[in-house]
Amino acid sequence: MITYILRRLLLMIPVALLVTVVVFALARLSPADPAVVIAGEQADPAVLAAIREELGLDKPLPVQYVAWLSHVVQGDLGRSFQTRQRVLEAITERLPATVELGAAAILISVTFALSIGILSAIKRNSVVDLLASSVTLMGVSFPSFFLGIVLILLFAYVIPGRIFPPGGYVPLVEDPFENLRRLVLPAATLATASLAVNLRQVRSSLLDVFGHEYMRTARAKGLRERTVIARHALKNALIPIVTLVGIQVGAIIEGAFITETIFSWPGIGRLAVQAIPSQDYPVVQGVVLVSAISFMLSTLFVDLLYAWLDPRISFESAAV
Amino acid sequence: MSGTTVPLAIGRQRTSRVSTVRAFARRNPRMVIGGTLVVAWLLIAVLAPFIAPFDPIKVVPSDSLIPPGAKHWLGTDDLGRDVLSRVMWGSRVSLSVGVISVSIGLFVGVTIGLLSGYLGGTFDLIAMRGIDALLAFPALILAIAITSALGPQIQNAMIAIGIVAIPAYARLTRGQVLTVRARDFIVAARTIGASPLRIVIRHIFPNVVNALIVQATLSTAFAILAEAALSFLGLGPQPPYPSWGQDIAYSQRYLPNLKWWMSVGPGIAIFTAVFAFNFLGDALRDALDPRLRRSGT
Repeated sequence: MITYILRRLLLMIPVALLVTVVVFALARLSPADPAVVIAGEQADPAVLAAIREELGLDKPLPVQYVAWLSHVVQGDLGRSFQTRQRVLEAITERLPATVELGAAAILISVTFALSIGILSAIKRNSVVDLLASSVTLMGVSFPSFFLGIVLILLFAYVIPGRIFPPGGYVPLVEDPFENLRRLVLPAATLATASLAVNLRQVRSSLLDVFGHEYMRTARAKGLRERTVIARHALKNALIPIVTLVGIQVGAIIEGAFITETIFSWPGIGRLAVQAIPSQDYPVVQGVVLVSAISFMLSTLFVDLLYAWLDPRISFESAAV
Repeated sequence: MSGTTVPLAIGRQRTSRVSTVRAFARRNPRMVIGGTLVVAWLLIAVLAPFIAPFDPIKVVPSDSLIPPGAKHWLGTDDLGRDVLSRVMWGSRVSLSVGVISVSIGLFVGVTIGLLSGYLGGTFDLIAMRGIDALLAFPALILAIAITSALGPQIQNAMIAIGIVAIPAYARLTRGQVLTVRARDFIVAARTIGASPLRIVIRHIFPNVVNALIVQATLSTAFAILAEAALSFLGLGPQPPYPSWGQDIAYSQRYLPNLKWWMSVGPGIAIFTAVFAFNFLGDALRDALDPRLRRSGT
């Protein structure tokens, strides 16, 4: 297992390097001159030249890339053009809000997916199953930003008493109740997109397990249906379900960009979105890099978890 | 005598054609529903200049914020612009981004996939690591990053979504090529001296087409959703030009005043367009992939 983990980590290195090349190239693709962004359109050419020299923009691109990468591996993602704050610091300040939102969304999504998915697999082709399938199909096609707006409209404005506020954030340590109250709508919005995929996965992996011989054996020896489902079906169906949580990290980071914008949630997604109009590319670059690396690590984690949970997966063959 | 038999024959032919269509619709309800919706949206996009009841960008202060009614079916926005007309014109943006970005992804991805699968070796190794690097990014974030680098314009949104679509096509095509490459008919073609280009185009590509049609339909749905998300974040077409995502973002400021109709029109438009392509893609997958057709789940 340790050899397998090491091999997977080693295989990740070239891809991670290519990811840094893409992130670096994206920032350089921008037609905007960083010196002009920092000093303004009217700045003295000498000032602009000095800024370019300070940022190393006067050097050839490969040299710039190596210099940038050597800073990145030391945790230095540069400074924001707008606020002059260190990008890593800006990201770490906002990360707890994104993690809280993401964790709440995963919790909601997995809880609903498991309960509805189990019910719809047990009662296949029933009204519940039909409803769940329709919800799945609609959920995949429903734009999250529209859902967010519908939820704000309903719960913050139409239903009297303003059950949930339309946006904003209160840190958990300051006021736990208010924090949760403000978390509900964005977390529900973020959860819905992945709920559809999860529900389908839970249902199909349970149906797959139901077809196995050991299920018939379990029923034949007189076990109660509840025990058969919980002890035999769910336990085996859980392998693909567990991987869902890991796979969702990508969807959660993606969704955070949109959801945080709608609900004024001060996470890293909103940080990047706010940096785009002002061409503050070190911030955008930093957030994109952190997102890609988190996504890669979560995919790796899922693969490892999958291999650990399912003994049929050979470490040797899986590593090739 | 012949005068009576001919109409009968035509009548029978018509009946059989109608019953064939009915049988097809009964067997493939999803394809019919999805296909009809897709055709409807395509027609709306093409005919928008003729069927939209009002000018989508003309400001009419006296018509500001009118709720849905007989004159303005989906109401008007704060500048008195007809929401229905904006939704109709907005479909041109969404569908053109969908079609063009999918074409970019399809062309580049299929070319990489065919070459990787057929040539193998160093080209395959390098190309696939590049594809892995693109797959390491959550799709929408890569699209946001590319568009923000290139500048907020509709052409850049098309390029960004097209680039994001490349890995799916490249992997799919490469996989199919690897399966087909060792088959007897390819070996036979090679034995009779067919050139690699001819083998790829005449013998390998036709075997990949079905899977590509399904993927293209499903990724059009993703492209429409991604374009709407980019426009929502201000990275799509710029105001006053109508775009579904941008119109929803704009409507957000009027939520406290309960002017709900400004966002409902474009929201439902995105939903139905994405739903149509997803539905059609799922149905096509079932119809074109016999392995999936047999599985019950």
